[in-house]
Amino acid sequence: MKREHEAEALSVVTGLAAGWLAFAVIVWLHGESPREMAGLLVGGTWGTAYGAGQVIFKATPILFCGIAVHIGLRAGLFNIGAEGQMTIASLVIAAVGASLGASTPALLAVPLMLGCAAIAGALWAAVPALLRAKLGAHEVISTIMTNRIADALVGVALGLGLAEKGTVRSADIAKGARLPRLEAFLPSLRGSAANTSVFVALVVLLLATVLWPRSRAGREQWLVGLNPVACAAEKISVPRRLAEALIVSGAVAGLASAATVMGYKGYYEGGLGAGAGFTGLAVALLGRGRTSGLILAALLFGTLDQGGLALNAHIPRESMQVVQAVVIVAVALGDARVRAFMARMPRPAAAAKAQP
Amino acid sequence: MDVLATRAVTRRYGATLAVDAVSTCFESGRLHAVIGENGAGKSTLLKLACGLVAPDAGSVAIDGQPLSPHTPRAAIARGIGMVQQHFALVEAMTVLENVMLGAEPLRGGLLDEAEARRRLAEVTRELGVTLDPAARVRELGIGDRQRLEIARVVYKGARVVVLDEPTAVLVPREADALYEMLARLVAAGRTVIVVTHKLDEVVAHAQTVRVMRHGQLVLSRDVDHDDAERELRALAAAVMGEDAPAQPAAPPRACGTVVLDLDDVRLGRALRGLTLKVHAGEIVGVAGVEGNGQRELTRLIAGLEHADSGRVDVAAASVVHEDRHQEGLVLDAPVADNLVLGEHAALSRFGVLDASALRATAHARLTLGAVEPGDPSLLARGLSGGNQQKVVVARALARTGDRAKLLVAAHPTRGVDIGAARLIHERIRAAASRGVGVLVISSDLHELRALSDRIAVMVRGRIAQQVDPGATNERLGELMLGEEGAA
Repeated sequence: MKREHEAEALSVVTGLAAGWLAFAVIVWLHGESPREMAGLLVGGTWGTAYGAGQVIFKATPILFCGIAVHIGLRAGLFNIGAEGQMTIASLVIAAVGASLGASTPALLAVPLMLGCAAIAGALWAAVPALLRAKLGAHEVISTIMTNRIADALVGVALGLGLAEKGTVRSADIAKGARLPRLEAFLPSLRGSAANTSVFVALVVLLLATVLWPRSRAGREQWLVGLNPVACAAEKISVPRRLAEALIVSGAVAGLASAATVMGYKGYYEGGLGAGAGFTGLAVALLGRGRTSGLILAALLFGTLDQGGLALNAHIPRESMQVVQAVVIVAVALGDARVRAFMARMPRPAAAAKAQP
Repeated sequence: MDVLATRAVTRRYGATLAVDAVSTCFESGRLHAVIGENGAGKSTLLKLACGLVAPDAGSVAIDGQPLSPHTPRAAIARGIGMVQQHFALVEAMTVLENVMLGAEPLRGGLLDEAEARRRLAEVTRELGVTLDPAARVRELGIGDRQRLEIARVVYKGARVVVLDEPTAVLVPREADALYEMLARLVAAGRTVIVVTHKLDEVVAHAQTVRVMRHGQLVLSRDVDHDDAERELRALAAAVMGEDAPAQPAAPPRACGTVVLDLDDVRLGRALRGLTLKVHAGEIVGVAGVEGNGQRELTRLIAGLEHADSGRVDVAAASVVHEDRHQEGLVLDAPVADNLVLGEHAALSRFGVLDASALRATAHARLTLGAVEPGDPSLLARGLSGGNQQKVVVARALARTGDRAKLLVAAHPTRGVDIGAARLIHERIRAAASRGVGVLVISSDLHELRALSDRIAVMVRGRIAQQVDPGATNERLGELMLGEEGAA
């Protein structure tokens, strides 16, 4: 046990060290001082109330998706489809929100919107979930494909009338369906897009890390993820538990649209929130399924996102994406779950040889 | 000359002191046995010696020089190799590929298969066995897999070959062949260390014996080959820490309704027209060389496989599967979850687990099964092999009665020590006397004879003959191999 924790901690530290090294090298290649740029990065994010607010704003959808991926990982599933589940949910609640009467009270509209977002994400995840349960199709492949389909559906939906005439965005959602910005309560955050969806994310996080493992479904999903053969031998329905895990994961990914559509823009446009689903994979791996781990990991990636803007005058903001990618690769390589997953994948050479 | 020595090595697992400051040295060119009950620390001691487990204190010396770094790679580089209880072979690869794995000879950057084949031939000649280098592991029987594991260790240059419970999976005839092979290794100047439960093997084949109890080395001396009976009693007393109580006689049982009725069942190439009945309150033993369809029979009754043809009439069954690491346990989950695996629904209210009910159930089963240590929050992986087996058996036994009228126990005492095996046998008899029908599948004829009301001999996916449990080893052995010889 202790050794495992040490190995876990080591892989996180290695990941962060690799990220810092990549940052230093990139900055140095641009002829700037790594120490100075690091100062700018921290100053531009956590140095001001506005910067901190922006980090929270960027971290919120990432946290939702990180939780979603984590729920799948517990059951031994890699939900690469959080991105698409979030996109579909965004489209759905943009349509629902726009159709609500202007005077709909928030007390009714907000729960309705959140419910629709979760259901939409769950239904979109149900496609790969059923493919997995009924046909054994691998969720990594099918969720990647449903991501592409979701992307394509954005254009279709906007073209078919979701978009306002002459624009590429949907109509504004009802006022009651919007989640207020934090600046309404904390004036020092003025200008920052941080909004109350972060509280929804924190509630979902606690449900996922504290309550879910204590639920029957959550516990059995975890056991199935560890050893499906033993679970099947004791009459636990493995395909059903796997499908459930993917669907619940999709529901949480769908909720990420609360951060963008309800909290930020108040409408949907192509590309809104894009990338959060993939960054969520990194957050889940780096966060190790711990409440604090997931929060810190989401804040780290939020900081890099926002920090890229702060450094944009000196080095291209895309550099921060390189740093993010290095962290992801380094952490993933050290992650036993990823290694176990890769070990299960058939090698082309071995597969070819196995043919009689 | 001491080829391998431990110097006050200590290893803890949680609150348990698995190995407590053990110092011992193994002289080269002999066959050493290490014995003890489950959880006595004998496997851990040898894993420490082979670099598989790092000591919390103390050190391991090879040829007088400390093992550093303390890794299996460093140990094998210095000539210490271990054959684990659970084989680590790649099923889809050939014998030769498995042997080469991790020690591939290269020529110009390419694999030199000819060289590997030549070296493997040398090894098998020394071992006195035949292994087809091109055969795929998945086609090999358990005995061949074990020979392959040993060949692989020797191929990698082991001067000391350590085997953990090598005969737990073998029938008596195969066990004799194994010791013949080990004797050839010793004759060739290598050193062999065997961890085992079976005292008669120690007396028959080993030159020295070490007894572990509660993590400590309580006896270390040469085996006395003069009076085998007296030596057996002496070792049993050292292992148990007391005089062994006598085995209780099995009471006669009446037969009731049929709880398992298989008629001309066919399943792939494994079951070929199997017919077998088990009545309530009866214990039926299935004897046979492993790989004659026993695994499929178990999986069929458990509902994991479906027959191609024939009639399968099964009451709700509680099953102890053959492979505790695959079908038996979720190794990385707590013991508590393993003890109630599949019953989480009954232990939940409104979809939320009732933690106290779960703990209470787990505790009751731990106590009943005499699992050591009795802490349900430990991970199953942290238990010794024998205690893992006790968990699996305790779970299956707890489900017999109202819910399961049939208990299928495949190798119920595999890797379990004498005391615990006796306890498991008692519990199985008690279940039968409560009216549960029991099917015991085992390669241990002694166990089958001690438990069964009748013994069904399984050969090539069929029940060849049913005999009285009083049948001799020779008679059963003939039947087990009979049809194979005729074919």
